[in-house]
Amino acid sequence: MIQRISTYQRFKMMNPIIQFFRFIYLSLKVLTIVAGGHGGTRKVHQDSHK
Amino acid sequence: MSKIVVLGAGISGHVAASHLRRKLSKEHEVLVVSPNSNYQWIPSNIWVGVGRMPYKKILFPLEPLYIRKGIGFKQAMVKTFHPEGDEKEARPYVTIEYVDANKKGQQEKVTYNYLINATGPKLNFEATEGLVPGTNKTYSVCTYTHADHAWQALSALINDMKQGKKAKILIGTGHAKATCQGAAFEYILNVEHELRRNKVRDMADITWISNEFELGDFGMDGMLLSYGSLTMKSKEMVEMIFEDRDIKWILGAGVHKIEDGMAHYENLEGETKTVTYDFAMLIPSFSGHGFKAFNKHHEDITDKLFKGFMIVDANYTPKPYEEWSVQDWPETYQNPSYKNIFAPGIAFAPPHSISKPRKSKNGTEIFPSPPRTGMPSGITAKLVADNIIDSIKTGRESLAHKGSMGNMGAACIASAGFGLTQGSGISITTYPIVPDYNKYPKTQGRQLGKTFGEIGLAGHWLKLALHYAFIYKAKMNPFWWLIPE
Repeated sequence: MIQRISTYQRFKMMNPIIQFFRFIYLSLKVLTIVAGGHGGTRKVHQDSHK
Repeated sequence: MSKIVVLGAGISGHVAASHLRRKLSKEHEVLVVSPNSNYQWIPSNIWVGVGRMPYKKILFPLEPLYIRKGIGFKQAMVKTFHPEGDEKEARPYVTIEYVDANKKGQQEKVTYNYLINATGPKLNFEATEGLVPGTNKTYSVCTYTHADHAWQALSALINDMKQGKKAKILIGTGHAKATCQGAAFEYILNVEHELRRNKVRDMADITWISNEFELGDFGMDGMLLSYGSLTMKSKEMVEMIFEDRDIKWILGAGVHKIEDGMAHYENLEGETKTVTYDFAMLIPSFSGHGFKAFNKHHEDITDKLFKGFMIVDANYTPKPYEEWSVQDWPETYQNPSYKNIFAPGIAFAPPHSISKPRKSKNGTEIFPSPPRTGMPSGITAKLVADNIIDSIKTGRESLAHKGSMGNMGAACIASAGFGLTQGSGISITTYPIVPDYNKYPKTQGRQLGKTFGEIGLAGHWLKLALHYAFIYKAKMNPFWWLIPE
């Protein structure tokens, strides 16, 4: 069963005031994930096997 | 004094050159070799392709910037790699052929201490018979010229629809192993949005065609994500969006031949089918550029450097899907045979796909190749530049900076329609890009919370903000380096 976007959900998606706060939230969240660092995988796993 | 040659001036090459120049003193030379005279912010091609942004807004000329910043620039394409030099030239070098009007066709040896191969992909249109942008009613948004051309055709079709013509629109992947489903996904939603804006939506049938097994695969094997208070699969999210926009879909389709208004494809059942259209945008397969490499005795050593794309520190041992590991993916993008050669961005050869490989009943492989575009391109380019900078400054090889796609997050802010008040965007982040099933066994290899989706006007604003921020950064304006990749 495919989900549908309800009228209320659509209102929230397109309401500029609600979306302004979502924009701030999204910007910070994306920044946290992207600028949150990156690294290797091999050493971490070698350590975990020790 | 060291000389660092960067091949390519796309997202990856330009990021590497910018950071190298900022952090290295002027005694070290940074030289960019690219056949393109302009830098283009490729993610905004989508808006060029629907006529909402002139292509001039997504590009700027490279040479004036590079002159101002002290970065060398040759508008040329690389032809051959000579990592050991030759009898006459002791230093490693590449041969290049100029493409700018003044020196067109001239060849030159360019020596280096460090080489960054950021040549990206070859848009392999010829792998699909008849898939040529601008012919057979088929278009592309892979470059700004392609996107502009696509908009001219779409605009003409919209005018025909206003006169009462019914139209079929087909958007997706144009090859059984194409990647970059995300770009096609953005384009189909933008086209649908523009048809509504032009009040001709009811005149068009819009169909998504893709080599994905399920919607929302995106070449990343799909994902389980947080969506508001729910946890849902990317498949369910994309189904919900397509259902909402009345977009039909064809999945597991390996398009192999294009004729005028007809796309022939094979599906996973092994059936050969045809879909007709009045306008199509199909992403081609990506391939390596077919470069050749030679040792100092001029013997062919291409297989030490290339496996289609460039060989790096990945585990290329062939193994079944069930045995794939996140550790197979490279961390430093260094060529194992020649330690002063690196290949960030799309230029490196992935160890395997991310999506589960599937074959049709006829044995044709139909599944997406792994995406490495956008954010991973920038991040891997920066870490390669940082390792080279450390190596130069310390006088010994340094590989302290690592960035496996199995330990890296990425954001895909997919435009779903342009407009400050009527626009929409689908914001998806995923962490990590390559699923780590050992670390996150219960959530399909990814961390929930850091892997989330959201739909709404804010997504459009965010994509627009990123457009301006990244062009600001690419122009190396004050404090550009504070903006993360």
